[in-house]
This record gives sequence, C-alpha cells and structure tokens, in this order.
Amino acid sequence: MKKGYLKLTVLHLNLIKSEIMKKFLQRNSVRYSIGAIVLLAAFLTVIIIYKHNKMLIIRSDNSSVISGTDSNNHDIVAKRQGIINKAGVMPVYGHWRTFTTRDGLPSDKAYTVRIDGNRVLAGTHDGLAVYENDKWRTYTTKDGLAHNGVVSIDVSELTGDVWIGTLGGLNRWSAGKFETFNQFNSGLPNDLVYAVICDGNDVWVATGGGAGHYNTITKEWEIFTEKNAPMHEPWTYGVSAGDGKIFIAAWGGGVIEYTNKTRKFRDYTDPDGEMEIDLQPDDGLVHDITTATSYADGILWISTYFGLSRYDGKNWNGYFDHDSGLASNFINFIRAEGPVVFICCDNGLSSFDGETWVTYKKNDNSTDGKAIITKGKSVREMPLSPSISHNFIIGVDARDEELWVATSKGVCRGELLKK
Amino acid sequence: MKKVYKIILVFGTILLLGLISYSPLHKLARNHVNYITATEDHPISCNSCHIYNQKSGPVAKLINARYLSPLNLAVSNDGKKLYVVAQEANLLLVVDVNRMKVIKKIRVGNQPHTVILDREERFAYISNQWSDNVMVINLAGYRVTDTLNTGNGPAGLALSADGKSLFVANSYSSDISVLDLQTGEEVKRLNAGNNPAGAQMSPDGKTVLITSRRALIAPYSKPLLTELTVINATTRRVTDHINIESAYMMENVVFTPSGDLALVALVRPKNLIPSIQVEGGWMMTNGIGIIEQIPDGRVVQLLLDEPDAYYADPSDIVVTPDGKKVFVSNSGVDCISVLDMDSIRSILSESTPEMLRTFANHLGVSSRFVIKRIYTGSNPKGISLSPDGKKLYVAEHLQDRIAIINTENLEISGTIDLGGPRRITVARQGRRLLNNAGHTFQNQYSCYTCHPDAHEDGLVYNMASRDMGRNVTNTMSLRDIGEIPPYKWTGKNHSIYKQDGIRFSTVLTRTEPFNPKELDALVAYIITGIPNPPNMMFNPYGRLTEAQSRGKIIFERTHDANGNEIPVSNRCITCHPAPFYTNKKMAYVGTLSETDDSLLFDTPQLNNIFASAPYLHDGRAETLEEIWTKYGQKDKHGVVNDLTKNQLNDLVEYLKSLRDPLYEKRIPEVNRAAFKFN
Amino acid sequence: MKHVKVLILLFVMLMFVVSGILLVSCKDKSMKGMIVFTQVPEYSQYKNYQTGDSWRYVPQARIVALYPDKPTSFRLLTGDFYSARSPEISYDGRFMIFAGQLKQNGLWQIWELEFESMEKRQVTYFQESCIDPAFLPGGRIVFSKSMAFDSTGAGHALHTCNLDGTDVRRITFHPNADFTPTVLSDGRILTISSQIYPEKECPMLMVLRTDGTKYDLYYKDETDELICTRPWESERGNIYFIRSNPVKGETGSIFTIHRNRPLHTCIKLNNEINGSFNAVTPLKSGKLLVSYRSSDNNKYALYEFDTGTGQLGKLIYEDPKYSSMEAVVVEAHQQPRNLPSEVDLQVKTGLLMCQDINIMDEQSMNAVHSQKKASQIEVLGLDASLGIMNVKEDGSFYLKAMADKPFRIRTLDKNGKVISEPCTWIWLRPNERRGCIGCHEDRELVPENRMPLAVKKSPVIIPRHITLAGEKEIELE
Repeated sequence: MKKGYLKLTVLHLNLIKSEIMKKFLQRNSVRYSIGAIVLLAAFLTVIIIYKHNKMLIIRSDNSSVISGTDSNNHDIVAKRQGIINKAGVMPVYGHWRTFTTRDGLPSDKAYTVRIDGNRVLAGTHDGLAVYENDKWRTYTTKDGLAHNGVVSIDVSELTGDVWIGTLGGLNRWSAGKFETFNQFNSGLPNDLVYAVICDGNDVWVATGGGAGHYNTITKEWEIFTEKNAPMHEPWTYGVSAGDGKIFIAAWGGGVIEYTNKTRKFRDYTDPDGEMEIDLQPDDGLVHDITTATSYADGILWISTYFGLSRYDGKNWNGYFDHDSGLASNFINFIRAEGPVVFICCDNGLSSFDGETWVTYKKNDNSTDGKAIITKGKSVREMPLSPSISHNFIIGVDARDEELWVATSKGVCRGELLKK
Repeated sequence: MKKVYKIILVFGTILLLGLISYSPLHKLARNHVNYITATEDHPISCNSCHIYNQKSGPVAKLINARYLSPLNLAVSNDGKKLYVVAQEANLLLVVDVNRMKVIKKIRVGNQPHTVILDREERFAYISNQWSDNVMVINLAGYRVTDTLNTGNGPAGLALSADGKSLFVANSYSSDISVLDLQTGEEVKRLNAGNNPAGAQMSPDGKTVLITSRRALIAPYSKPLLTELTVINATTRRVTDHINIESAYMMENVVFTPSGDLALVALVRPKNLIPSIQVEGGWMMTNGIGIIEQIPDGRVVQLLLDEPDAYYADPSDIVVTPDGKKVFVSNSGVDCISVLDMDSIRSILSESTPEMLRTFANHLGVSSRFVIKRIYTGSNPKGISLSPDGKKLYVAEHLQDRIAIINTENLEISGTIDLGGPRRITVARQGRRLLNNAGHTFQNQYSCYTCHPDAHEDGLVYNMASRDMGRNVTNTMSLRDIGEIPPYKWTGKNHSIYKQDGIRFSTVLTRTEPFNPKELDALVAYIITGIPNPPNMMFNPYGRLTEAQSRGKIIFERTHDANGNEIPVSNRCITCHPAPFYTNKKMAYVGTLSETDDSLLFDTPQLNNIFASAPYLHDGRAETLEEIWTKYGQKDKHGVVNDLTKNQLNDLVEYLKSLRDPLYEKRIPEVNRAAFKFN
Repeated sequence: MKHVKVLILLFVMLMFVVSGILLVSCKDKSMKGMIVFTQVPEYSQYKNYQTGDSWRYVPQARIVALYPDKPTSFRLLTGDFYSARSPEISYDGRFMIFAGQLKQNGLWQIWELEFESMEKRQVTYFQESCIDPAFLPGGRIVFSKSMAFDSTGAGHALHTCNLDGTDVRRITFHPNADFTPTVLSDGRILTISSQIYPEKECPMLMVLRTDGTKYDLYYKDETDELICTRPWESERGNIYFIRSNPVKGETGSIFTIHRNRPLHTCIKLNNEINGSFNAVTPLKSGKLLVSYRSSDNNKYALYEFDTGTGQLGKLIYEDPKYSSMEAVVVEAHQQPRNLPSEVDLQVKTGLLMCQDINIMDEQSMNAVHSQKKASQIEVLGLDASLGIMNVKEDGSFYLKAMADKPFRIRTLDKNGKVISEPCTWIWLRPNERRGCIGCHEDRELVPENRMPLAVKKSPVIIPRHITLAGEKEIELE
C-alpha cells in the first residue's frame, strides 16, 4: 500500500477539499478503501516530510549487474536522428544532469515536463519553470498562473499556445499572456486539472470532476462525467489523443475511448474486475485504476497503479515488474513517442518499444545509477554517472537527443548515448 | 337649398365639436407628452413618436432611407480608383477618382467592414462583419469569386507578403483567423485581445499587428489594459500580447514607412474616477499610442486633445509615404488631425520615461506635434492615402461622401458624392447626434465613445450620483432597446426621452441639453436604427444545439432537480421571457453592493447577451458562469445550486444562443449576405 | 351690379391696409450695424483693481452710437444718466444692457435699452452698485456687484439674474474683486479677479460655470502686467484683451490667447505701434475694433485693427472731448452654450475630491516618491482653521464642506509641518461635486485613471472639531 503515498502527496491537499474526494472516500468497496488508505498514508507522509524537511526515498531491490550483449549480439546504440520515431532502435540516455532549486527551479518537487521547441517547460509544486538559453525562469500566480501547483502541460501545434493544468484551474499561456479557466468562470469541469492535451482546435482536460474539452473556435465546453459517459466516477487522471480518438484514464473506470467524429464512447476495463492481480494474462486492461494513457504509432499505452497495458486495437498485453523490465507496477505517467513508450514509475523510469526495456534507476546514497536493459531473457546493466536524481518519476518528455524527466527531487535531462 | 343647409349644419356641427373638444384633447396630449419626455416644455408633435419611431411596416419604409455609410476604403496602385466599403448598403463601391463618381456597385456581405487589395491588384478582400466571412472579389470583372469563412465579426484584414495568407481580426469572437488563400480554408485561430479591430502588416512583411477596442476584463479598480496583438507573419503564431495601459478603443494601427514605429489611435477613459466633472479631461481623453518596433521597445501615449478642446473618437490613422505626416480621423468632432512625425520623434528622443508618462495625461503636448485640424463632413472614419501621398481620402461615414484632402496645403480639395439618399431622415439626424461629441462639454466624448457601434464599451463607471465612489455601473447596450423600458440600471427612466433629456446633460455631457428636435431625432434613431447583429456564433439559424436545447429546458423549468417547485418569482423565465428576455420590471437578485443607492435593478434584456461581458449591474461577473458560481450562491438570482456542472454549462450555452427577435422572423435570411434589418 | 361695386370697394380698402402695413414694417428702427460705445471725458491711468474706482466706476461716461461709415449718424443713448458705460448687445441684436448711474454719487445699476422703442428699463435694484453686465443664454444676465460688509470679504462678486431682475443668484464667494464678466462660447463665464485677502494680488482671468461651480484659473500673466479691460472672445476662438504695465509706466497693448489653450498661447498683437490701447472687441470680419491714442495728450479714438498685419486700420470715430472705448456692433450673434446646473439649493454642502495631493506640477508628478510626501491637509477658512484631515496612502482626500464658504488648503507632513502653502481660494456651491488632481498642479494635466482610495469611504466633513480625544466629525445636513 505504501507505494501509493508519494504519488498522492502531490495532490492530497487539494483532493481532500474536493466534494468528489469526500464522496470517493464514502464508497465501501475494496478499490476505494485501498485509495483511502493510500491517501491517509500520503497525508501522514507529507507531515513527516515537512517536519523532517526531507524527501523519503523508496528503497528498491538491488539487481545483480549483468554485462553482455543483447540477443542479437549487438550493442544497444542510438542513432543520431529520428531515433524515437524509427522502429527497432531503442534509445538509451545518459550523462544525466539534474536541475533543482539551486539551478533556479522554484521547487524540487517537479510534476510534469514538456519540451517546446528550444525551451523546456516544467511544472513544479511552486510554479511553472521555463528552461531557455541555459536559464530557468519561474512563473507563478503573481504572473497570472491559476495555481502554483502545475501538474500538466501541453503545447498547441497550431497556435503555439501553452496549456497548463494546475491544481487550481487551467491556463492558456499565449505569448506571455496567462488566461485562466476555472470551474467558476468557465465550463471547466473541475479545478484539479491532472492532464491537458491539445487535439487540433480542441483542448482536452482530465480533472477531478470529469473530463472535458474546450473548443477554441466555438469557445464551448463539453464535459463528461459518470452522468453522460461510461465512467464509474467523475475522477479522471489522464487523457491522450490519436487517430481521431480521445483516450481518457478514468479512476476506477479503466479507459474511456471517445471518437471525435461519431461523438460516441466505449470503455475498456479490467476483465478481472476489482482483483489486484491479473488472473488471465493479456486478456485486457491490467487494472481499472488507470493513471495515464498515451497513443502513438497505432498503439494505446495505459498506465495503472498495478502494471502497464498495451493495446494495438486488437490484442492486449500486460506488463508487470516481475515479468518484464518495468521498473515498478505503480506507474504515475506515461508518454509514447513513436514506437517507444516512457513509463514514469515510483521506482525508476522505464522505456519500452515492444521488445526492449530500458529502465533507469538511481543508486541509493549516491548520485550514480544505472540503465537496466532487458530484452527477452537478456538483461544487462549500464552504469550511469551521474544518474537521474530520484527514482520517484512523475513526468517525462523526449526529444530525439534529450530525455527530460520530472522527479520528486528536481528535473533531470538525459542525453542520447552514442556508440 | 335644403341640401346647402344640411351641409352647413354638418360642417357647423363638426366645427363646434372641434372647438369644444380642442381644449381637453390638447390638455390630454400635453399630459401625455409631459409624461413621455419628463418635461413640461417639449412641443406636442404626434409625428415624433408615432411616425418617426416606427420600426417596421410601410410607414417606416416611407420615412426611412437606406444610406451607404462609407466606413473604410482602399486606393488602387495607380491612384485612379477608390474601393469604398458602404457598410449600411452592403456594397463595395468602385469610385473613379478623376471622374469623381461611383462606377460600380458590388453586392457584398452583411455589414462589410474593411477592404484591402493584393499587391498585383488582382483581388480585393472584404470582411463582412455580420456574415462571418471574407469575400474575394476579382477586380478584373468586379465579381465575387469566393467567400471564405472566418470567426465571428471579421473586421480588420492583413495580407501576408507572399499574398498566400490572410489575417482576419474577428471582432466579436475576439480571435484571429489565419486563412490560406490557396485552399480558402481557415488554417488556424489565434488568440487576440478583447474586441480586435484593426490589422496591419509591417513594411518588411514579418509582423502583423492587431488592435483591440475593449479592455481586457478585470475587476473594477484594477488598471485598464487593452491588448495589441503581435503575430509573426512567417510562423503565423502570436509572439506578443502588448498591454496598452489606461487606454482602449484602439480602432486602427499603422506602421511608419521604415517600420521602426507603429502608431495606434486610442481613447483614454477615466472610468475609475468618479464622474463628477468634465472639465480638465475628467471623463475621456483622446490620443495616439506609439510602439517602438524593437525588442522591449517603449510604448508611448500622446494626447491629441487641448486643455479646453477635445478631439473625440479617434478612428483611423495613416502615415504619408515620406513618413513626415500622420493623419488621424477624429470621428466624434468631424475632423482630421494632422501630426508632424519629426516633432513626435523629437519628443520620443528628448523625453525621459517620467516625462513620457506625464505626456500621456498632458493636454499641452499636442501643441508640439499637431500641425492642423481639418474639418470634414459628418463622422469621418476610414482614411487612405494615394500612393504618392499627395491626397488623403476620407470616408465621411454619415455624409455618404468621400472628402479629398491635399496633404501639402492641408486643405480639402474636393468631395465625391457616393450617391446616397439626398434627404436626411430624422433617424439619420439622430445617428449623427449619437456619433458626435458636439453635445458634450468641450467635445470631450460622444454617445459613441461609451457605446461604440451603439453597443457598449465593456467598462464599469463610477456614476457618483449622490456621493463619489457610489453607484458603480456597467455600460449598457443601446441595441434594440426601444421596446424595453425602463432604462438605466435603476429603472429610473421610463422613456428614452427622459434618459437622454436634461438629466443626461446635467450629470453626463454637462453642456447644453439636446433641443426638442434633436431629442426627437436621437430617440427615433435609438428606437428604430440599432439592431443587434445576428448571433452568427451561437445561433445563426435558430436551431439550438443539443447543449442549448438542454439549457432551454433548465431556463424554463418550474421544478428543481429534487422535484421541488421553484417559486414563480425565482424562475429564469419569469423575469426573462421572450422575445427580449426581460419582463421590464425591477428585481432583487441578491447582488446589491454597499455602494448602490438603488435597492432594485431593472431586469436586463438577454438578446446577444454573449456579447455584453462583464455581467451584473456593476460588471462584477466576468463571465456568464460567474453570475451563479460566484454571485448566485444563495439562489436569489434563480435557483441554480441544484444544478450539476454539466447543467450549468448547458444553461450558459442556451443563454449564449439568445438573439434579437428580429432574426426569429427571418431565419432564412440571417446568413444571407444582403440581409437587411429594415 | 351693386354686388360688384361693394366687392371693388372692399378690394381697394384691403389694398390700403396691406400697403400701410408694408410701409410701417419697412421702417427699420433696429439700429442694426451701428457701433455702440462708451465715451469718457477724463481717462485715468491709475485704476484700483480691488474697488474698481477709476477703472470700472468712471464719472460722466456716456454711451453713444453711430454707423461706422456715417459719423453724422452719431446718437447719444444715455443722455438721462450722470454716467453710463459697458454696453452689451443681446444675441438677437434687439437689446442692449449697460451699467448706469442716474445721479452723481448715486448707485450704479444695470439697465436695459430696447433699440426699436429706445425705451430704457432698470433691471437691478440693489443697495450696492452693480456694473459690467453681460447676457447669459437662457434669458439671464451676469454682472458684478459691490459687496460691502460681506462675510466672505469679497470686494465685488458676480451675480446672475433674470432679465426682469428677478431670481438673483450670487455665483462667486471669495475675498476677491470680480469684474467684467464675459461669456465664452462654451458657456462659461470669464472674469477679471483680484484677490483682496489675505494679500492683495494682481488681477488674473478666472473661469467658472454660470451657476458658480468649477471656478478655476483661466489665464495668469507671469509678468507685472495687468489685464485692464474686459476680454472678448471672437468667433474664431481668440480671446482679446488689453494689458498694461503701470510699474513701467507702459500703457495698454492688445493681447490675445486662444480658447483651446489659454495658459500658453498669449501673443502681443501691436508690436510695431507706439501709443496706447485701452479697449478691444472682435468683429465678425476677423478684424478688431480698438480704442487707441498715439500720445497721452490725445483722447482715445476708435480704429479698426488688422490682426494679420498688426497694424491700425481706418479711423472709425474720434472725439476731441471724449475718449471712446468699449465699442460693440449692434447685430445678432452666436449664443453661447446654455450650461445645465448641478446646484441644488436644498443641499447645504458640496463635495471635493483630490486624486493625489502630492502632485504639484509637471516635473514633480512622477517624482512624487522622491519628495517629501504630505500625509495631512489643513483646510483654512477666512479667519480660522476649519480642521486637519489625513490623506490616504495614495495621496487622495475627499471632503464635504459648507457650500458657498471660501476656503484654502495647505499640505502638512505627518508632524503637522507645512509642506506647501495654501492654494487659491476655493468654494463649493450647494451640491457641487468637484475634483482636483493635486495641489498647485499643472493646469494642463488630466487625472490618471486610478480610483482614489478616499472615495471608498464617506467624505470627511469640514469644518472638523479638533478635541484632545481626537477628531470628531459633525453633521452639516
């Protein structure tokens, strides 16, 4: 159960205020009692964190270092260009650099990271941080941010506007101008905006009060909750788009698929119901408590607190820490780029292209770490010095030669390793 | 002989009856006129109300005339032709400058706003503000060859240097459409300021500037900020939103030929100061903004006004090709201000930042750069220079005429009659009065200033009726208000006559009140000549969307979500019934503030309510949602606290769909380019 | 046949009646086109701007009329007066009002003359003298009245009344002498005002609304020169008057300021002419009608004056025994704006709001923070302090004062030390609401669009009673 608390430390203060959370806590089911205990643990943890002014670190099992090559007897290398979009080549990132408050971040608690051209946008506990020309600049509520807790960011490819999900509403950040949408001044479902994505002229959000989309042309909001969509709860954590469809990660409701053209829903849930273990492998979604979705190359990736799911439109695959290179079953967030999916776990960062796993972990009591490369039975470790700053990963974004991650101890940037 | 006696008897009787009934009838008429006008000396003239205030029917057709109302214009490369937008007639007029006459009338969309020409002069592009489209006109055959859809209320236009993209300022939806002229499709919608209007491409073709007319909505007492949007013409993305401080109504923008400066026409209102006097620029000042086109360039504002003379409603602005002279049309005082650019540049170079801040509020500075005021016909709006810069053409909006100004001797060298109706109807006279500042002390502002396009300026003013700081009120629209008395937020005035009579001059214009004839004309125009634009964005055809239909049910409901009956007095439909969505009665909706003198408020109409933010009598609600989420928690303004978020959104969508009843009668015509409202 | 004869007889009679009417109506008694002016036998250069002696009050003056191109048409209009002066023509050109003194040492009052009947009618009946009348739009007149023993310490104060002398209203309330009111085209009254108390000051042009509200400085000469004649506004917006410098022994010169920017547009027009001017009025032609003499030995004569060349034009009239001045043309002319009034005599107080007392002039406006900031103001009455009040942190204050009582304001620091000396006298009319930007601020500044903190609360009532326990407000209404 303790695996839940760090994830929820991020949100607990706001969630506890929420009517929906109160309702959620009242439910008498196994799933919800798990959530309740997790929340309680999170709450206690935060008190400890603030009292002792230090971040708890989750201990991970030390795996024995295995050197060698992959099954094809090739060193795993990355090409310089278009690596992520090229199938069959698995990128590995090293030379990690960590950015913390010492480097100009407003807070070491980073929730999300997004690459936007020549700049990188990081959402932290104390505002939005923008990395440009080797400098971080912070934007807070004083500048017009809806709330300093920035948990999701996306950039519109059409307009270049940055859409920012915070714990107090949604912002459109257009060329320096902040515009706030909240549940009081607009049709935004709820102020806890866990995820935001731009899909053409639509901006989709996953919030504590349902999912919804804002049409930037008609200025109309349409929101979906358990009242008008196949959800068990209005609570939604993630949203992604692809091939004219929207995939909403609904807490306890699996994945809700919305087709833009037909405006129809369908949902994907765990065939095993509320069981925490996956009784029948690859029979569907591994669990209904979903945290994020990401769609790329015709593959829908879904993260849960109990493993990772992959759906190609026909077949489902489930991945767990005990039978794959996945860092941990407790997954906070995922982002797929081409064939590769980056998985933010509470015990490291994993990436997977359907064949090869690369998992990044930091060693205890040192800044060094390793990349564990798993392909089938073959597992090897690549020492990394320095490594990612913390194993609790909550946000990621990748560009061919750079991988940016948001951790509980700053934002890290990894460089693509070449031969 | 008997017949003669009979005739004499009949006529005698009629005469006698007439004589007997004259006195009581006259007294009756006197009392009636006194009541309507709230005065005792307004002449008794039945025509004033019963003929001139007819909105439709044969009488209305007879007494009204359809004017051209030229708004903007473009000059051909050879300077031989003018392309004039006739806003009210839905025409583009082609004028032969040498023959000084209109040679072609091209039917365009509803309420055209701006015309621009491509570099080769193959096409003209006209934005149709009430049709939500831009028409492409082939100049070889003067034919409309294409109609491109835009956002709501297209106004200013700017063409990319390669002629492939068109930037359209959507004045109602407050965004910018980027049109691909090869496919005719809108490729993207950019975020703009509030009520964008003017658009201009920089001389190097790299930057597009879009002005805004309304200030960004902010709580009362916060500084006024109005946006100038900067677009990278290559990436077609917004690169900056420059906030112009303490100013609004930036109708148009122009670059100097070298492109080092951009100039905007603007108004600097004093809405945060109690409206206690006009003297000393305490209500409005009028000026220009100068924006340096360098990174972190300065934004400087200079007033066009003088200490005891104001030049209301600056509208269009142009710079001569040699960059030496600037012309600004001051629509509210029927004049063109001529500015010396070298003097402006020396002010910029010699002045400290502190001095420049002071100049923004200094009435003496204009003496350093204003060379001349050239007086024109009624309500000059769009102005355009001939390619050689020797002639300035002025669209005299309410004169149906183009004035030609010699830019060397700065005299009017001639006028071109566009062929509008010769006679000036009563309503037209009223329109001129509404658009002219002559009836405000020292011409400081016109009705138009606070009611641009006869709507409202989105500002909240401190009307300070009894004490200063009290009675903070949001400007109300003048659109289609003839049938919905009482007027004023307190419902104090039962007629437009009373609203615009002596009280109006005592507390607002502070100069000689309108005389009875002028008041008749003004009232006739307000009652008959100001329709709402069609609701093209939320309800163009009278067919509600799913969400709007669900919202309508909530709007008309009699029971709450728990099945309890909602008291009749607290139902939306009770106070806001169709067609104007007001029961014309006073109401208490729990929004009284400590600074309000009145306890009850006039129930406002809801037609085109989407276009009237901010909301509530003092503009405290920035959006329709806030009326209930922030200020309706006690269910005094309708029962809403039982609604889910989805339901509230539906209700808001329905409210946005409400439109002028005029269009309910003519649904098929709404989107027709030639749609007429009379 | 009989019927025909009767008809012809009736027709002939009708013809007689019609022709009679036509002939009568053809006889023009309107004096249209004549010049009406004042003649003074002895013209003194030593005038008293506080009492009006030898300036407004001159002995044995008379008002005459003539056609400019026909000297023989000379007519004396005030032969039944010991002294009369200051003629002004009504907007329709049918009447003239003037100040007249029937007997030597008698009181001056305002009179009206109808040109058609040549009948005179006394308009005012006061126990003090009234002079310098001017027509107001709306059938009223404004004039200056002597204010002996007045509680405000005024020497002469401006009053208005109906043309029949009823509904008299005083409109200036300060220890000044206000003379020669003239009505500007925007409807306001321009007057030459000289402070009498506490110090005597040079006359300056002040402006106010016809109800006495919004009294303010219009034009002040920075030199030692004095504005010594009634200013007149031309249809082109120029305001003409005569300035002289008794200190330097310089006699009058013609000056003009423009109505759009009176403080900074003053120009001397007669640079190349020796001699002296003592009156000027604009003509519709754009030229001026001036009163000029080439040397002190001569009498002032009437000339045309060309503002373009700055040269004298033709001589209109010269009289070896009288100085001619204050010439006006008998013709209809544009009526100024008839301003509405916010004054409510049922209300006993007026309101004054200042946006930032620390704004003092153009330079200091933006250097407010660097200079010593005022945190209090003291309101000074004629003979006592009316109280001290705090200003808000933004420098604003908001007070409610007894109407029609003059007061001045000075700024103090938090220790009560004076920062700036008192401003000129202010008064508030009943129900007047007035604003100022700062203290001694640049008159061409407009307020910044900023809500003054002071108006968020009720006004502080003046006078205030200061007690040891602190300040206590008293209700006035």
